[in-house]
Amino acid sequence: MAWLIKKVRQNNLPVTGFMWLYAILSVYPLIWMIFYSLKNNDEIFVTNPFGFPTHLRFENYSNAWSKYNVPVYFMNSVIVAGATVIGAIVLSVMFSYAAARLQWRLRGIAHTYIMIGMFIPIQVIMIPLAILVRDFHLANTYGALIVPYIAFNLSFTSIVFYGFFRSIPNELEESACIDGASIYRTFFSIMLPIIKPALATMVIFIFLNSWNEFTMAVILITKESLKTLPLGLLFFQGQFTTDWGAMGAAMTIASLPTVLIYMLFSEQVENALTVGSAVKG
Amino acid sequence: MKKVATALAGLSLVFVSACGSAGNNTDTAAKETNAGSPAATEAAAATTAAPEKAVKLRIYAQYSDDDTKLPYDYAVAELKKEMPNVELELEVQAQDDGQKLKTYAATGNLPDIYQAGTDIINTFKKSGNILELDKFADLYDFKSKMYPSTMNTLISEDGHIYAYPYAGNEFMLLYYNKELFEKNNVKVPTTYDELMTAVQTFNKAGITPLSLFAKEKWPTVALYDVFATRTEPQGILKLQSGGASPSDPAYKQATEELYKLIQAGLLPKGATNLNFDQAASLFYEGKAAMFLNGQWEIATSTEKLGDKVGWMYFPAADAASYEKNKYAFVGGGNPGGYAVNPDTKDPELAAKVAAFISLKYAEFKYTERGNPMVATKVDKPIVKEYPPMMKQLSEDISKVTSTTAFDWGLSDAKFKAAIEDATQVLMTGGYSVDEFIKDVTKAIPNGK
Amino acid sequence: MKKFLGNKTAIAIFTLPALLLYTIMVFYPIMQTFFRSLYEWDGLTAGTFIWFDNYKNLFDDSVFYTSLYNGLIFAAIITVTQIGIASILAFVIADGVVKGRRLLRISYFIPVVLSITVVCQLWLSIYNGQYGLMNKLFEILGIHYQQDWLSSSKSAIIAVAFVNAWQYMGYHFALILAGVRSVPEQYMEAARIDGATKLQAIRKIMIPMMAETYKFCLVFAVTGGLNAFANMYIMTGGGPGTSTYTLTYLMYRSAFRVGEFGYGSAAAAMLVIECLLATLIINRLVARERITY
Repeated sequence: MAWLIKKVRQNNLPVTGFMWLYAILSVYPLIWMIFYSLKNNDEIFVTNPFGFPTHLRFENYSNAWSKYNVPVYFMNSVIVAGATVIGAIVLSVMFSYAAARLQWRLRGIAHTYIMIGMFIPIQVIMIPLAILVRDFHLANTYGALIVPYIAFNLSFTSIVFYGFFRSIPNELEESACIDGASIYRTFFSIMLPIIKPALATMVIFIFLNSWNEFTMAVILITKESLKTLPLGLLFFQGQFTTDWGAMGAAMTIASLPTVLIYMLFSEQVENALTVGSAVKG
Repeated sequence: MKKVATALAGLSLVFVSACGSAGNNTDTAAKETNAGSPAATEAAAATTAAPEKAVKLRIYAQYSDDDTKLPYDYAVAELKKEMPNVELELEVQAQDDGQKLKTYAATGNLPDIYQAGTDIINTFKKSGNILELDKFADLYDFKSKMYPSTMNTLISEDGHIYAYPYAGNEFMLLYYNKELFEKNNVKVPTTYDELMTAVQTFNKAGITPLSLFAKEKWPTVALYDVFATRTEPQGILKLQSGGASPSDPAYKQATEELYKLIQAGLLPKGATNLNFDQAASLFYEGKAAMFLNGQWEIATSTEKLGDKVGWMYFPAADAASYEKNKYAFVGGGNPGGYAVNPDTKDPELAAKVAAFISLKYAEFKYTERGNPMVATKVDKPIVKEYPPMMKQLSEDISKVTSTTAFDWGLSDAKFKAAIEDATQVLMTGGYSVDEFIKDVTKAIPNGK
Repeated sequence: MKKFLGNKTAIAIFTLPALLLYTIMVFYPIMQTFFRSLYEWDGLTAGTFIWFDNYKNLFDDSVFYTSLYNGLIFAAIITVTQIGIASILAFVIADGVVKGRRLLRISYFIPVVLSITVVCQLWLSIYNGQYGLMNKLFEILGIHYQQDWLSSSKSAIIAVAFVNAWQYMGYHFALILAGVRSVPEQYMEAARIDGATKLQAIRKIMIPMMAETYKFCLVFAVTGGLNAFANMYIMTGGGPGTSTYTLTYLMYRSAFRVGEFGYGSAAAAMLVIECLLATLIINRLVARERITY
């Protein structure tokens, strides 16, 4: 696409300006969150909602840190999010490959069927879901979160993979078939590399979904030793009053690692993208 | 000091008359307080003397700010002395409209002891998820330690006991910043006209007249109730029971007055998006002249504003109705407290723990948190002296003529949801009196 | 070839694990919701079968129509802004014109990484009628449009929708960027040789080739908007009054605050049907034919 560069160069400035302005708008909340975590309620709400804290209240962090066992919660989040990513990616990539490329009568219906999961907000089915978790003896294990998380990520992940699989030219499989490769080999060594960009993107999406998930976690996890980071927020929200600064600290503790992980992974995405298009080109 | 506390604690039950019961007077209540306890405690101690094997109980309770953590910690520490064999495993209550507790009930995973309000009691008693405690009512002499006035927090509408209460009858108060009133030469209002003048003057001076955390819907219901009770002391309760309609003159006039004041700028900008901390901040920082909240606010307001803060009687249409309904208080008590899961292994033990925790919870609030509005009598001396506003309230307790209910004490969930929504829109000013009346009328169970 | 792609064992191995897990954990609870929508039920007791009474009441409930309308507005706003902005950003980034692309790409995704609670708190401050940045911005621009964004029944839903639109734009940006990268270069090359301008090339070649990408972005945005909940739960509590209710919020209130689980289930069932319709429409509208290279 390098040919476009020349033509655009004349009106480069406004475009660059817009791109960077939008980037600043996107990064500001991260900075704001860190400021917020160093303020008290009066500063957050009345005297200084947006600026640099007038007095750095690091006690919010020690406060947050003392309320719950941050390292344990953190490890649990890592385990749950990691297992969810692996489970959801494996299941959905296999399913959507079959739905998008293989030939069977019910594939259209199967694809729509799995999409329905996106239509229902989790609050609606919380109670039946909690009963299932109990009946499968998942309660008080990591499975209480991992299994539902995988199941609820299937819908979106599958339709994305489906879309990517549908855009791949037929000739690839034809030549693989002629070369005598099995369907499994075709899937692993030809198809998967092509959709690497999508795979990397979805790894990030699923990771974030499960890392930040609160609604299911608060209801399905009762054991202290299995709690994930978002549940730390519970310690700050009272019936009336909330310690917003300490809550900000808890949110920063929960979010900063994800920002870092994202930065690391997005590098992988970029690499995967280059490899992906090389295969295709 | 002790005397004030006792009078307060004995909180009058005169006002129970609003709910139809005969009025007791404060003196008796106060005497009963004194009579209560040493003997009772001994008796209680005797019953639990025998050492038992270690038991672990799950408990689901509020535990997030000083007002919930400190009393809970105290109660648990006391429990350790009383029943060393019992260990409590706490789960912090989520602010989720009972979602978690109801899911627990549906999956048969209810904790042994949990905090239940009116809504949970009403739902769970139908589904058999809450233990009827009638036969355990006298564990630790619980029932005899109740004030006659707070019996309404123990006994449910159906005459049974489902939870051991710790909170007593509580009230909404209209707090005000005396300094702001003096500086701006505003008379503390007794009538709506004077209130209107105050609103206009404060707005001119760039001060918010009344801070209200209307993002939560219950304060909006309470504000409406304040106006309604100036002419009809039973306020929202009478609406809920179908005994009155929002289009009745008393209610309609209240709505109209409130509407006019809101149009004139009674509330801060964006009031319906202010949470408690924001609204309170406005008041504490001297940016709002008045603040509506429960009597539990006395401690914090005094701490933040010292002797600048006071509370006033609610203004009314004219001087006559102001005087007449001066002591028609808004708020009240409702059944709620620590409840027991019927499927717990040893119901009596769980009930014992629940009763004990409630008593100690109330004790701590009373002695250390400057809050005498508790359900049960406390025989311990007060550690933290009550602020002047509490003393003033205590002097008035015996004069209270009626009370209503807090929003969360409304037993008809549908009516509750509807009046919450309607009063909140009313606070934005973008809702006519007629629309308000129409929407509330629709939700009244036996509505005309 | 047909045999190759019609391998029954392979199909079973590929699809059954996902279908099984999904059916048990997701679809079965959804069916329960439909089933329970025919009951007068408080969520805990046995309940009474009442046929379609919940639906009848739903159609008589003005809050239902408010919720329906809000869901549509919400969906429309987030679909247009998210996909619109994401496309512009993705095309420019893919173009390689602007310097610092890596940093830009990471930045655009940051709001997605943050938890929704943080983002909603930030926007509550921005929208605040007294000290909010939004009003200051209008003041600086000299436009008299200052208002209480979240307190007016009319503007609240729009204000809330923009928060969601802004936060999750990054998702679409990432997806569309991945889509752009998947379009083989020789097609754009061919367009250049034909003398097409950049915009023409994008419109005529790129976007049609990305039909599948746009299809799932649309489904994602539209259904996400129709069943929006968390934003109003945190920012407005459905208020003022009922003015930012969506069907999910209505379900939540009916089930957990009013104790009418059956009625809430009916609202949820309507939501599923609505989303299904929207998806079918999207599939119709976006070119169906399989792209062949």
